[in-house]
Amino acid sequence: MSSYLLQAEGLTIRGEDVTIAPFSCSLTPGGRLTLLGETGSGKSLLAQAIMGTLPKGLVAQGQLVIDGEAFDAADTTSRRALWGHRLALLPQEPWHALDPTMRAVSQIAESHHHVAGRDQRASLQAAWADLKELGLPEAGDKLPGELSGGMAQRVAFAAASAGGAPIVIADEPTKGLDAPRRDAVVELLARTPEAAGALLTITHDIDVARRLGGEVVILRQGQVVERGPAQQVLTHPQSEYGKRLLDAEPSRWPAPAPLGECDMAAVVTANGLAKVRGGRELFRDLSLTVRPGEIVGVVGPSGCGKSTLGDMLLGVTRADEGEVRRAAGHSLGFQKLYQDPPAAFSPHWRLSRLLDDLVRRHRLNRSSIPPLMARLGLDENLLGRRPGEISGGELQRFAILRVLLLNPCFLFADEPTSRLDPITQRQTLALLVELARERRCGVMLVSHDPALIERICDRRITLGNESMSVTKREREPAMA
Amino acid sequence: MTTLAMTPPRRWALPALNSRQQIGAALLALLLAFAWLVPWLSDADPARQQLTRILQWPSFAEPLGTDHLGRSLLARLASAVRLSLGMALLSVASAAVPGVLLGVIAGWRGGWLDRVLGSLADACLALPGLLLVLLLVAIAPGNFWALYVGISLVLWIEYFRVVRARTRILVASPQLEASRLLGFGPLYLFRRHLWPELAPQVLTLAAFGAASAILAMAAMGFVSVGLRPPTAELGLMMIELLPYYHEAPWAMAQPILVLFVLVLSLNLLAGRDPR
Amino acid sequence: MSQVLASRTTPRWTTGLGGLLLQRLFQAGLVAWMVGTLTFVLTRSLPGDMAYRIAAGRYGHDMVNTSAAEAVRAELALDQPALGAYFGWLWDLLQFNLGRSLVSGEPVLAELWHQLGHSLGLATMAVLLSLLLGPPLGLIAGLKPNGWLDRVSEVAASVLRALPPFAVGLLLILIFSVSLGWLPAAGHGRSAHGVLPALTLALALAAISSRVARNAMADVSQSAYYAFSRTKGLGERQSFLRHGMRNAAVPVIAYLGVQFVYLIEGVVVVETLFAWPGIGHALVHAIVARDVPMVQGTALVMGLMFVVLNTVVDLLCHWLDPRRRSA
Repeated sequence: MSSYLLQAEGLTIRGEDVTIAPFSCSLTPGGRLTLLGETGSGKSLLAQAIMGTLPKGLVAQGQLVIDGEAFDAADTTSRRALWGHRLALLPQEPWHALDPTMRAVSQIAESHHHVAGRDQRASLQAAWADLKELGLPEAGDKLPGELSGGMAQRVAFAAASAGGAPIVIADEPTKGLDAPRRDAVVELLARTPEAAGALLTITHDIDVARRLGGEVVILRQGQVVERGPAQQVLTHPQSEYGKRLLDAEPSRWPAPAPLGECDMAAVVTANGLAKVRGGRELFRDLSLTVRPGEIVGVVGPSGCGKSTLGDMLLGVTRADEGEVRRAAGHSLGFQKLYQDPPAAFSPHWRLSRLLDDLVRRHRLNRSSIPPLMARLGLDENLLGRRPGEISGGELQRFAILRVLLLNPCFLFADEPTSRLDPITQRQTLALLVELARERRCGVMLVSHDPALIERICDRRITLGNESMSVTKREREPAMA
Repeated sequence: MTTLAMTPPRRWALPALNSRQQIGAALLALLLAFAWLVPWLSDADPARQQLTRILQWPSFAEPLGTDHLGRSLLARLASAVRLSLGMALLSVASAAVPGVLLGVIAGWRGGWLDRVLGSLADACLALPGLLLVLLLVAIAPGNFWALYVGISLVLWIEYFRVVRARTRILVASPQLEASRLLGFGPLYLFRRHLWPELAPQVLTLAAFGAASAILAMAAMGFVSVGLRPPTAELGLMMIELLPYYHEAPWAMAQPILVLFVLVLSLNLLAGRDPR
Repeated sequence: MSQVLASRTTPRWTTGLGGLLLQRLFQAGLVAWMVGTLTFVLTRSLPGDMAYRIAAGRYGHDMVNTSAAEAVRAELALDQPALGAYFGWLWDLLQFNLGRSLVSGEPVLAELWHQLGHSLGLATMAVLLSLLLGPPLGLIAGLKPNGWLDRVSEVAASVLRALPPFAVGLLLILIFSVSLGWLPAAGHGRSAHGVLPALTLALALAAISSRVARNAMADVSQSAYYAFSRTKGLGERQSFLRHGMRNAAVPVIAYLGVQFVYLIEGVVVVETLFAWPGIGHALVHAIVARDVPMVQGTALVMGLMFVVLNTVVDLLCHWLDPRRRSA
């Protein structure tokens, strides 16, 4: 009888163009294991293989020992009896994991009733108690659509763990959450090992892995690249990939070239901007200037009006009050980069056609394209493909290419790298900053990552980071 | 930049057909061939009565037999299919063009124009479609054009609603905003962004709409308020041949089968379940 | 008319229950106005000797004379200028003063009352039968998309959808009445008479509702919340009952509204085929006989039935889907 709660021996996954190399791990009560890797590294598949929820076409092999009971990984049905009782899965994107037509408290209570076997009344009481304990006493009567991402994550946590399972598997639990919410989720996850359970976390976020501690496994393309205690792996990685991954953390980025002296007129100036959306005041009396070549960062929690501010400077959205003055003589000089690269392109056309359209529309000089493409690391073969057929990083660089061909004086980059993996993010932003400096293009960069903004921006604007009253008081945006 | 020059000169994206749609297209092509080849290959007149040879079994001279008035069923069926498809094509075209145009305008412009057009569409939807067609047919009995106006009047709304909803989403989308910032005009935005998204939906609606038009005309004929005898029309033929079921079941089965294949081919061509 | 025409007005500018009902009330007004206007045009388009022919139809050919024709002319206000007559016509409609049938001479309202009963009986039977057939089959098929049941029911639905209700009815008559002799083909009186017309309508309705239910269930069974309800340990049965069925029911019920278009259209042809003495049969007869008051009355009742049924669907959705309540 082992003292392990969860053990995997030689776990492999095979299927159409997917192979996950043999993976082994063992977790004692109180143990924490974090699988770290970018999209496509196979980390979520490992979690699904343990649960027995692999999608059709994929087959797992190997041995599993869960809470003292041995299982063959290929036999998925036998593990269903463990769900909720001994194995709990905290799903990706809790918003979609909650039944949109059922109130939050009922979704927790049904776990207490059907999984833990309490009677109806006791289940409902337990559900309310869970909510209160998680700091959500008011969320019980709400539908998932009315909850914020962080609240939904906590409700899902309560619903998943009501059955008292000692082993918790969390699949990308912080996806789409901003920094403070992310920390709260990490605290929530840490409860399981503190109560002598075992926690297996899947994440792409180095910071989350560091905060959780325990053992860390770095995965890449289905292979274990490196594993060891979090402290060691996440400070002094041995593998080449581990080093690159860590170097991609914004705090380790090299500082960009200094802006230098610049007396040139501002490319865009805003005075006394105000905007109300959905009955809520986003900001008021906001003034700012962006000068050529300057990188201005904008931070703030989701929904605080970061994108709205940028759209106002571009003239896409109108301000309720105040005025925006754009440098004259640049009718096409105000451009934007989007958060989700594929969403910024019509998926039906080859990139060459889109580029051709632009060249013809504005009678651009074709000879300037190849050097710029080389500079952006874009291969000419990519032009024969459609936007959905190349990677997000490549597409975002193509978007930068398209925009730069028009010689913009101001570029609004709305979280341009938040959907990219860390290494690609670093490359893309470094290129963007370099080119902006070189071409004297002012950039307003939005990000939910304060460390990133801190690192590469010349100035920083913080929007609505506290409650409304504080925002009002802070009329002059904090300039760092 | 060789790749730039190599882009095929394709200007409009046509939706690719899935296997289900291909079967539908093949069936429809067969029916089209039947309807137009028959008058070309044989000289039978769909209206010529030969009371000496009524309800005859299929033979070499009359491959599909004759009806209760001795008319050639082959000629009548071909004529009926031409009539049905003609009505379908005409009403679909006159519903789709204004429906799509108004839908794009309403979805793009928004504001009062959108509200006015939306209310107009809702008004046309207040009555079940067939009821509206029935009332229009009542005003001008037996008239092809009354049927056509009624069917088109009901059909255009669906194009309008679908196109408007889709356009509204697309106009607010990053892809359109990006192209607009890059200096492209409305025509370009429509061609590159809107049409590729709308085309498959318009094709689906057109196929369903054609099926609806054919069914509506047949239903009118069947309850004797549509086109008048001696026109060869599928619904009319069914009700005319119904009394002779005992003597000639094969004769009655023919218009039913043809209508079935016609509607089935269009439903398959539409490519998805109606929603 | 089928698929495409079968869309229904969904409430747009208001979300609350009150606004929803108000909008349906507005639709009812629109129905009355459209029916009134179209039938008014119908009276004006009657050929010159129409009054004589109608009078002949009512009193017999021997009894017809100028005064009888004049009476008909006055009843339809054919002797008045168009605009005034139009407003008079709408005013009568507003007061539910629908006049007398030009054929039977009976008050239209009294005739409608009888016919409505027959039609409602048939429609209720058809809807219940279709609900028994379609959605359960669709839900089971949707649990295993592309399984054998899904394939078979898809083919069956495709075949049924390609056959108009009158063709389905004809085939049923040929099979069950003419060949097997189990059920009467046409007429009314015994309950056996209702079986074939109700089955005809129900098959057409079930062909669609089974696919709608199947797609809804397939969507739900592939959703993240359905997967979560299973992994949190509810088991297949509880997941299906608590999260599958209810979420799949919302689109199925919402689609019922579209189905009522079919129902009302189907009633017209199926009643005519089976000589069922309902509203649809009466409407077709009235159009053939050019009995304008009856055309107006029957079209009005059918249009209003459509609005009432859609209102019921709205209320059902409202009750079933809490998202709409808190919106």
